[in-house]
Amino acid sequence: MKPILLQGHERSITQIKYNREGDLLFTVAKDPIVNVWYSVNGERLGTYMGHTGAVWCVDADWDTKHVLTGSADNSCRLWDCETGKQLALLKTNSAVRTCGFDFGGNIIMFSTDKQMGYQCFVSFFDLRDPSQIDNNEPYMKIPCNDSKITSAVWGPLGECIIAGHEGGELNQYSAKSGEVLVNVKEHSRQINDIQLSRDMTMFVTASKDNTAKLFDSTTLEHQKTFRTERPVNSAALSPNYDHVVLGGGQEAMDVTTTSTRIGKFEARFFHLAFEEEFGRVKGHFGPINSVAFHPDGKRGRCQKGRHRRVQTAPTAAPPQTPATAGTGDPTATRSPGRGE
Amino acid sequence: MQDAENVAAPEAAEQRAEAGQQQEQQLAAEPPPGEEPPRPWGPGAQEAASGEDAAAEVEAGPGPDVPAEPAAGGEEAAGAAPGSSPPPPEESPAPLPAAGEAPGAGPGTRRPRLGPRGRPSFSDPEDFVDDVSEEELLGDILKDRPQEADGIDSVIVVDNVPQVGPDRLEKLKNVIHKIFSKFGKITNDFYPEEDGKTKGYIFLEYASPAHAVDAVKNADGYKLDKQHTFRVNLFTDFDKYMTISDEWDIPEKQPFKDLGNLRYWLEEAECRDQYSVIFESGDRTSIFWNDVKDPVSIEERARWTETYVRWSPKGTYLATFHQRGIALWGGEKFKQIQRFSHQGVQLIDFSPCERYLVTFSPLMDTQDDPQAIIIWDILTGQKKRGFHCESSAHWPIFKWSHDGKFFARMTLDTLSIYETPSMGLLDKKSLKISGIKDFSWSPGGNIIAFWVPEDKDIPARVTLMQLPTRQEIRVRNLFNVVDCKLHWQKNGDYLCVKVDRTPKGTQGVVTNFEIFRMREKQVPVDVVEMKETIIAFAWEPNGSKFAVLHGEAPRISVSFYHVKSNGKIELIKMFDKQQANTIFWSPQGQFVVLAGLRSMNGALAFVDTSDCTVMNIAEHYMASDVEWDPTGRYVVTSVSWWSHKVDNAYWLWTFQGRLLQKNNKDRFCQLLWRPRPPTLLSQEQIKQIKKDLKKYSKIFEQKDRLSQSKASKELVERRRTMMEDFRKYRKMAQELYMEQKNERLELRGGVDTDELDSNVDDWEEETIEFFILLRVTAVPLLQCHVSRAGPRLILLRNLHNPWDPPCFLLLWLCPHLGSSIHTLLCLVTPGSHAGGVGRRCFTFSCLGFLKSHHQCLLLDSGTCSGRRSPPAAVVLPRCSVHS
Repeated sequence: MKPILLQGHERSITQIKYNREGDLLFTVAKDPIVNVWYSVNGERLGTYMGHTGAVWCVDADWDTKHVLTGSADNSCRLWDCETGKQLALLKTNSAVRTCGFDFGGNIIMFSTDKQMGYQCFVSFFDLRDPSQIDNNEPYMKIPCNDSKITSAVWGPLGECIIAGHEGGELNQYSAKSGEVLVNVKEHSRQINDIQLSRDMTMFVTASKDNTAKLFDSTTLEHQKTFRTERPVNSAALSPNYDHVVLGGGQEAMDVTTTSTRIGKFEARFFHLAFEEEFGRVKGHFGPINSVAFHPDGKRGRCQKGRHRRVQTAPTAAPPQTPATAGTGDPTATRSPGRGE
Repeated sequence: MQDAENVAAPEAAEQRAEAGQQQEQQLAAEPPPGEEPPRPWGPGAQEAASGEDAAAEVEAGPGPDVPAEPAAGGEEAAGAAPGSSPPPPEESPAPLPAAGEAPGAGPGTRRPRLGPRGRPSFSDPEDFVDDVSEEELLGDILKDRPQEADGIDSVIVVDNVPQVGPDRLEKLKNVIHKIFSKFGKITNDFYPEEDGKTKGYIFLEYASPAHAVDAVKNADGYKLDKQHTFRVNLFTDFDKYMTISDEWDIPEKQPFKDLGNLRYWLEEAECRDQYSVIFESGDRTSIFWNDVKDPVSIEERARWTETYVRWSPKGTYLATFHQRGIALWGGEKFKQIQRFSHQGVQLIDFSPCERYLVTFSPLMDTQDDPQAIIIWDILTGQKKRGFHCESSAHWPIFKWSHDGKFFARMTLDTLSIYETPSMGLLDKKSLKISGIKDFSWSPGGNIIAFWVPEDKDIPARVTLMQLPTRQEIRVRNLFNVVDCKLHWQKNGDYLCVKVDRTPKGTQGVVTNFEIFRMREKQVPVDVVEMKETIIAFAWEPNGSKFAVLHGEAPRISVSFYHVKSNGKIELIKMFDKQQANTIFWSPQGQFVVLAGLRSMNGALAFVDTSDCTVMNIAEHYMASDVEWDPTGRYVVTSVSWWSHKVDNAYWLWTFQGRLLQKNNKDRFCQLLWRPRPPTLLSQEQIKQIKKDLKKYSKIFEQKDRLSQSKASKELVERRRTMMEDFRKYRKMAQELYMEQKNERLELRGGVDTDELDSNVDDWEEETIEFFILLRVTAVPLLQCHVSRAGPRLILLRNLHNPWDPPCFLLLWLCPHLGSSIHTLLCLVTPGSHAGGVGRRCFTFSCLGFLKSHHQCLLLDSGTCSGRRSPPAAVVLPRCSVHS
C-alpha cells in the first residue's frame, strides 16, 4: 500500500485528527493554516483562515458540524466545518494548548499555557448558551497551578476531562464541578499526547520519558506500558485490533546534529496486551509529531516534521506473531489485512 | 651536707641518664635576659618563703624538701624525667609523691610542693623557722633550673658520631657544623666526653624547632664514612622512646572476621559469570549474573561509587571510588571488606596477586609526606608505603611483576624496582638506564623488558633483564627507530616489539614487528616488516597467533600471523576492507572480534582464526566498548554514556556473533565482567577435557534443549496469561460501555454512533476525483544513469534543454523493499554561479519509483541550507535507468 502525502503546511505539524466517520482529516501546524482533507485520496478540501500564530490543537464534533482550533495567537476559534466560517473567537491570555468537544458536541473545553505571567487554565463553554461565547465567559474555569497541562481529552460521556501534565501527572477533572476526581502519576516526564480508544473506555498516553502507557479512562488505572528509546510524541490505538502505534523520535532541536538513523523516526507498532513491538514503518526524516488511526482501522497516519505524510498503514501482522518486531521491515506492517 | 647532696643527686642522675637536657641548659649560654621566674613553682615558692604561716612551713619541713623541688620542677618542665634513668632509689619516693598528692596536701597553698616526708630523721625540729629565702639558699641552682620555654624542641641528638680525642675535636666540630648548619643556625652544641674522648653522640640546638625537624628528616641516615652513619633524633622524641615498656606486650588478638566465601561465585552450578553495570550516569551500580535469557540481578545500589568501579584481577573484590578513598566489597552479599582512606583518589591498581592495592590521588601529596601514590595491604588495610608522583598520565605508574613480588616504576633515566613485602628498593638501589623510554614486565616470569632510544652513535636497544639477578638475558640493537611498543603475549611466551622506523633514504615510516621467542635458548628474534600504517596489534592469549590492523581508512586490512615452532612467522590470512580500529581477542584465544568503535559507528566482525572465517558481521551503532567474558563464551558491546549520550545500552553476543540480548539502560556507563582466577586444572586435565568434549557437549545440548523448551513454554504461558488478563479487562470495559448505550444515544440526539456504519442512511454520496499528485511542476524528460554498487547515483539531465546543467541524485536503495521506495540521500545540482560548482543539497521527504510507468516521483521538502522553498513535486516520466 502506498502512502499518500499531503502538502499544505509550511511548518511542522502539531496535530492531526479524523472526524468520527473518517472521511475528513484535519491538520494543524505551526503555521496559522488549518487544513481539511479528504482522507480517501488526500485532496485538500479547504482551509480555515483566521489564526495568526501556530495552531496547537484541533477537534471536530461528532457530527462534523463544528471544528475547534486553539492557537498560540491566544485564541480558540470555532468554525463551521462545511463553510469555513468562523463562528466564535474566544480570546485568552496565553496560548491555547489543547481543545475538544464533549461527547454530545455541546460543551467545549480548552486549556491555556502557563505563559507571560498567566497561569494554566482549563475553560469550559456551553455552546447552547450563546451569552457565554459572546461575553467570553466560560461557565467554569479550572486553575492549574503546579504543572501545566500539555494534553487533554474529554472522558467518556463528557462527564470529565483527562489531562496530562508537564511533570507527567494525569488528572481527571470533573466537567461539572471542576474538582480533581482522580490523580495518578505514572510518567516521569511531560505527557505529549492522549488519545482515546474508539469506545472511549481506555486511552493511551505518549510521554517524553520514552514510554507510552495504556490507562482505563474511568479509573485512570494503569494497564500497559510500551517502551522505546526515544521520546514519544504521539500514540494512537487501533480501532479494530489490539494494536497501538507510537510516533516520536529524537527531539527536533537535536535532529540537525544527528543522522536520521540515530533519530529513530519510525512509527512503531506494539501489541496492546503483550507490550511487544511487532513492526515499524520507516520513511520519516524528522520526528513524528502526531499519529492517528482512521476510524475504520484500515489506515493510519503519522504526521511528522514539515511535510505531511499520510501513511496508509497497518492493521496487519497477526497479533500472535510478534516475530517482525525489531526487524524494521516495514513491509510487514504495510500489507493490509494479512493474518487473522 | 645532706641537703646539698639531695639537691645534687637528682641533678646528677638526670645528667647521667638523660644525657642532655640539664646539661644543655647548663652548657647553654645564659638564659635569655628578662626571663620570667619559673612558672611552675615561682609564686608558690615566694609565698612559702616570704609570708606563709609557720604551720604550713612546719608541716612541710623546709630543709630537705626544698631541694627536691628542682627535680620535680625539672620533670615537669622537661617532661622527660619520669622513667628516664631511675634516680637513686631513696630519692625517688620523695619527689614523686610531692607531685602526685598535691591537691589534697597543702591547705591554703596553691601548689602543695611540700609533701609529707616519710623519713622524719631529716626533719628540722618543730619550732624551726626557716628565714632564708630559697633564692638565697639555692640561687645558683635555681638559676639553672629547667625552663618550660627553653627550646628543647630545637635540640637534636646525633648518634654514631666518631669518637675522637681532644686533638681532633675541633675538626669534628667543623665537620658536624658543616653538615648540620645546612638546616638552620646552630645556636649551641655539646659533645659529651669520657676518658678524654667524645662519647659518640652529640647534642645540637637550632634556632627554631622547624630547623631541628628538618635536620632529623634529612640528616638521619647520613653516611659520614663507612663506619659512621648518623642517626638523628629530636631530643623530645627521647621521652617517647623511653616510655616504651621493656616488657613485650602480646598484641591483642584481632577477632577473626568471617567474610564468608569470597569466591562463592565460582561455585555457581551453571558456571555463569558476573558483571557489574553502572548506569543512570553513575548513580546506580548493579551486579548481574550473565544468563542467556535475561541477566539476573544480584545486587543493585544507589550511589555505590562516585566515579566508576573496578574488579580485582582475580575477581575477589569490587573496588568503588569515593572522595575519601577506596572501598572493597566482596562475598555473597557484597559486604564491605576493607576501606582505604585516600582523599581525592582517582586511579587504582591491584597487584596481580591481589595482596596490594595502589592508589593515586593528586590532592594529598606534600613535600615531606609522600602521599600521591599509596600502596596498601589489602588484607590488613594498612598503608605500606607512600610515593611522590608528578603526573598520572601513564597509569599504572607502578607496574607489577606477574607474581606480585616486585613492582617497578620509571623516572628520568632510572628504573626503580621495589620488592614486596618490604616495599623497599630491590638491592637498595635503582637501575640507571639513561634515556629509558618504556618498560614492561613479562606476564610469565620475572623478566623486565625496556627500551632506550638512539643516542648519537649508540643504537636504540631493547633489553630483557632477569630479576632479581639483574642479568641481561637479551639485548637487541635497533636502528633509525622512531618509536617502540612492547607487547607481551599473555603467557609470556612471546614478546613483540613494534618498532616504527624511518629507514635511511626514505621518508615514510616502516613498522617492524620484532618477535622474541622467550621460551627458547638465547631468545631468538624474528622480524615481520610492514609498510602500511599500523592501527592496532594484539597477541592471541594462550596462543601463538597475532592480529594486526593496518592501512588507512577506508582501506583497512586485518592480517593474522602465526609464529610457528621453528620460529617462522607465517601470514595465515588477510582480510581487506575492514571497518575496524580495535582488536579484541577472546581470553581463550582462537576467536577475535574486530570492532570499529566510536567514529567507525560500531561495526563488528567475529572471526574464527583456526580456519580464518568470518563468522558474522554485525553492528552495534556507535558502540564504544567491547568486553569479552572471562571464559570467552560471550562478548558484550556497549554504548557508554561517557562517550555518547543517546542509545546507551549493552548488547550480549555469543562468541560466534549471534546477538542474544539488547539491554537498554538509562544513561548506561560501564560494564565490567568479574574476572576469574586462573584455572587449577593441569595441562593434562585440560587436554583430557578437550578430548572428551563430545561427551560433554551431548549433555550440554540436552540441557540447552530442555531450558529452551522450558523458556518457550514460559513465554507462551506468560503471553497467554497476559492475553487473558487483558481480555478480562476489556470485557469489563465493554460491559460498562454497553450499559452506557442509552446515555450515548441521548447525548447525540438519538443517533447511534457506536459503529461506523450504524447510521448509514444518513450518509451522502459524494464523488471525489483522485489525484495521485497534488502539484506537478516542470516535467522535462530526464535521462538517468544509475551506478551499480553502493548508494545509487542517478544523473538527471534535461533533454529538452541540453544546456541545463545536470543534477545528481544520491539514492539509497533499500533491498528489501524492492525498487518501490528509495530513500533519497541528497540531490546535488550545480549552483547558479557561472562556471562555479556551487552545490545545493535538497532533502526529499519521499521518493517513489513507479516502476511500471518508469516514473520517478520527487518531493522536495525544502533545502537543508535553511532557505525555505515552497514544496514541490516533480514527476520524472519515463526515466530510463541504465545500470
